[in-house]
This record gives sequence, C-alpha cells and structure tokens, in this order.
Amino acid sequence: MKRTHYLILTLAILLFGAQAQEVSAITLHAAGSTTVLPVVSTAATVYHQQHPDVTITVSGGGSGVGIASMIQHTAEIGMASREIDEEEATKLKDKVDVLTIAKDAVAVVVSKAVYVGGVHQLSLKQIADIYRGKIKNWKALGGPDAQIFVIDKEASRGTRHVFAEAVLGDAHARAAGASVISGSNNEEQALVAHSNQAIGMLSNAWLNDAVRGIAVGEGSKAVLPDIQHVRDGSYPISRNLHVLLPKNAPDEARDFGRFLLSKQGQTIVKKSGYLSVR
Amino acid sequence: MRASALISLIVVMLMLWFLVQQSWPYWQHYGLGSFVSGDWYPYESLFGLAAAIIGSFWAALIALAIAIPTGLAAAVMSSEILSGPWRNLIRGSMELLAGIPSVVYGLLGLWLLLPFLQSSLHLLTGHNLLAAGLLLSVMILPTIMVMAQDALSEVSASQRDAAASLGMGWSARLWRILLPQAWPGIRSGILLALGRALGETMAVMLVVGSMDRIPEPFYNLLSPAQTLTSRIGREIGESAFGSMHFSALMACGLLLALVTIAISLLAHMHTDSARAT
Repeated sequence: MKRTHYLILTLAILLFGAQAQEVSAITLHAAGSTTVLPVVSTAATVYHQQHPDVTITVSGGGSGVGIASMIQHTAEIGMASREIDEEEATKLKDKVDVLTIAKDAVAVVVSKAVYVGGVHQLSLKQIADIYRGKIKNWKALGGPDAQIFVIDKEASRGTRHVFAEAVLGDAHARAAGASVISGSNNEEQALVAHSNQAIGMLSNAWLNDAVRGIAVGEGSKAVLPDIQHVRDGSYPISRNLHVLLPKNAPDEARDFGRFLLSKQGQTIVKKSGYLSVR
Repeated sequence: MRASALISLIVVMLMLWFLVQQSWPYWQHYGLGSFVSGDWYPYESLFGLAAAIIGSFWAALIALAIAIPTGLAAAVMSSEILSGPWRNLIRGSMELLAGIPSVVYGLLGLWLLLPFLQSSLHLLTGHNLLAAGLLLSVMILPTIMVMAQDALSEVSASQRDAAASLGMGWSARLWRILLPQAWPGIRSGILLALGRALGETMAVMLVVGSMDRIPEPFYNLLSPAQTLTSRIGREIGESAFGSMHFSALMACGLLLALVTIAISLLAHMHTDSARAT
C-alpha cells in the first residue's frame, strides 16, 4: 500500500516536472488552407525534432480562415493558397509578411468512371458551362450518359477562389450548376472518389486513381495539371502557396518561416507534391 | 441552488444580449424581408435566411417523424412488456446512443448513409435533407425514449389496477390510460429532442450538402440543402468579426437560440403543470 503511494507521488512529481518544463517552451498555432497544411504539418514535426522547445499545432479551415486568423490574431502562422484580396489587405494594414513557400496547380478533377468513359480534357469554357449549369450531362462532353455531379467549394476556400477566378472570371462568382458544397481537400477528394459522375477542383497533390486530373485547354493545347506545367507556367489554373507571419510574430515563428524556405523545408514541399520555389 | 440558477440565467441573458448586439447591424440593414429571400451570397451582400430556415425546419421535422413513433414504441416495450435484463439492455443502449459524440454520427453518415441513399434512390448525391433528418432521428431517439419511459413508469399502480379490474384489453390500457397519463412527460421529451435536432451542427453539416438553395419544390427532401447550424459552422471561420457577414451569421444564431429557448421553456411549463395536477 505504502509502495503505491510512493509510486503515485513519483508519478505526480514527474508529471508536474514535465509540465513545468512545458511552460518554458512555446506553442505556436498555424491555421488556414488545407492545401498548405500537409507541408506545414510535416515541417512542424521535423522542426520540433530539431527545436524540442517549439511545438507547432496545425489546423485547417481554408485560406479565408487563415487570413482571418491573421486579422483577428487567433494564430501565429497563417496558411493561404490564394492571394490576399483588397478588403483583407485593408484590414491587415501591412502588418503581415507573406512568404511564398510553394506553387501548385488547381486540378479540375473527375471521377474515375468519367475519365475512363472518355473525358480526358475540357476547355475553360466547357468547365465554366458545367459550373453555370449550362451543360448537365457528361454525354455532351464525350463522356458516359450520366448527369454531371458538380462539386463546388465553400467561399472561404483558396482553391475555390483561384478556380472561380480562372474559370468563371470572378473569384466569388456564383455557380448555379453546383450540386453540393464541400470544404477541405479531404472532403472534396472523398466526394469525387465516391461518385461515378463527379467534377470538382483539387490541388494537384491530391490526385489518385479514383480522383483523376484532366487536361485543361482547347484541343491539342490542353495541359495536364502537373508540376512540370506549373513550372513552365502553361497550366492555366496555377497559384502560389503562402505562409503568413504577422510582423510582430514571435522569433520562433519567423524562424519556422525561414525553415520552410530552407533546403530542408523545400524538400518537404516537393515530397508533398508541390513545386518548390527555391 | 438559487445561486446556480441565477448564474445560468445570467449566462443565457448575456448570450442573448451578445447575439442581439452582434446581429443588430444585420437586422437594421436587411430587416424582416430577409426571412423571405433565399439568396445567400455573402460576397454580393445578399443574406437571405429563407433557404436555411426551411432546411432546418425539414431536417427537424423528418427527425421527429421517425424518432417519435420509434422512441415511444421502444419506451412502451421496455417499460410495459419486457422485464429485467432486456429492459436494462434497451435502456442502456439508448444511453449509449446519447453518449456518442455528434461528429461520430456525422462521419458514420458520410461513410454509410450517404452511399446507401445515393445508390438505393439513384441520386446524384446522398447529401440531402433526408440524410440529415435520418441522422438526427437517431441522435434524438434516446431523449424521446428515455423521457417517455420515465413518464410511463410513473403511471401509478392504482391506475393500472383500476384499468385491469375494468377488464380493459392491452391496447385500450395503452391508448386510454398509459399514454394519456404519461403524455406530459412524453411531450417534454419530444420538445427537448426538437431543440437538440434544431441545434445540432456537426453531424448535419457533414451530410446536408450545404447548398444555400430553397429546395424545389419546397418539399423536395432529396436535394442538397442548408440548415441554420450548418451555415454557421461552414462560414463562421472566414467571416471577419464585426463584418456584415458575421452579423448575418449571428442573426442565424439568434434565431436558433430564440427558437430553442422557447421550446425548452414550453417543455418545462408542461412538466411543471403536469406536476401540479
């Protein structure tokens, strides 16, 4: 009996000690784009191994959330897969540094059955017509005779922003043809994979066998959404991926920013499937 | 006791005050006309509430339509017909159901219910009001069942004896004595369950489709739709504090808060009057 008491006491001291040590360490929070998230999350793990006193927690929400978290000071590190718009810039008042850590392509994705059924490429106009509700069946596009399941994304998502700007001409354009609204890249990926007739928008790093990226463009000029075509600038829906750091961010956050741009950080960018910037 | 009651009253009042204050710019600018419009396009400064109100209404109605009969049947079964271990099993499984976090229901819905609805009804997607209603019905079932069972077990032995000595059959006893006697408690359970159905966010958000569109026709339960809660859940993160978008979302919140408070007051009033009689 006495022995267990000692055990508990020792455990308590150990726990308390560990906690006391934790206080001297710093925890940073990163929030925003789920496209940037895999890079930052992996980098945070590696960075923590090298700097055990710095813990970085990472959560998603979308680029809009990442930028809002900078305006409302709810995170030390913001993630965005689109440029900051004018209204947000006014609210940020130059108090945030934008670090471009990678580039990627916003792929136009279709379900495997649609791809196998014959839809390997679409022009921007055709994609726009699908999202505006003017084309409703894959048959009209050389695919299977099936209604098009049009997946739109939440307005706060960077991917939506970039896609709508390139395809519909306005980042906040309405998509009357949309059948459902999705959120994170994971959710979008699952929706496309579970359907036989879906079209959606997804960062090129999230493509797989069930979720196929199609070439975008007219006729023989259509370009596949891959790293090579992002690098030479020929893919029409590509973008920069950003990490946002408030000007008054803790030194540890700034150092993490430098880490993302370092050789090691950029290797993580490549491994995540994006184009490195250095 | 009195102090804690006072504190909870103050918390509720503060919450309401906050919601009213934050949604005030919205009401001032858009007024009551916003209830009629179904157009919700934050970037075009269009904040119509109709689509989400209709969505919330349908989802809750479907949930009640399923959970009331099944919940009552389970309650009657376990309090009147089964005995001992079986009764405990049903009661225990209901309490287990009530303890499952809503996000788990949402994910189960996403993985099992949506593909099932999609393939069995030949839909473009399983995301729709029916899916939300079905999921909610499972979530509110325990509230209805447990409250109904408690109410049934409180029907006094003398009433039962009287019914038996009059030679009433089982169904007459059930419909003429048991259910009417237990009705105040059952009704409270239903109202509380309704409150939960209206306020549930996470599970609904994952399966309802989040389309800000009034169903066409308005009783089309198989179309993706939006509820007040799923809209708040989807958009609160991006809306800047103090913006009209934020204010409009707070208006959705205020609406929900007022309705659920009214419902739970109603539920308590009934319980109190039932105790008094």
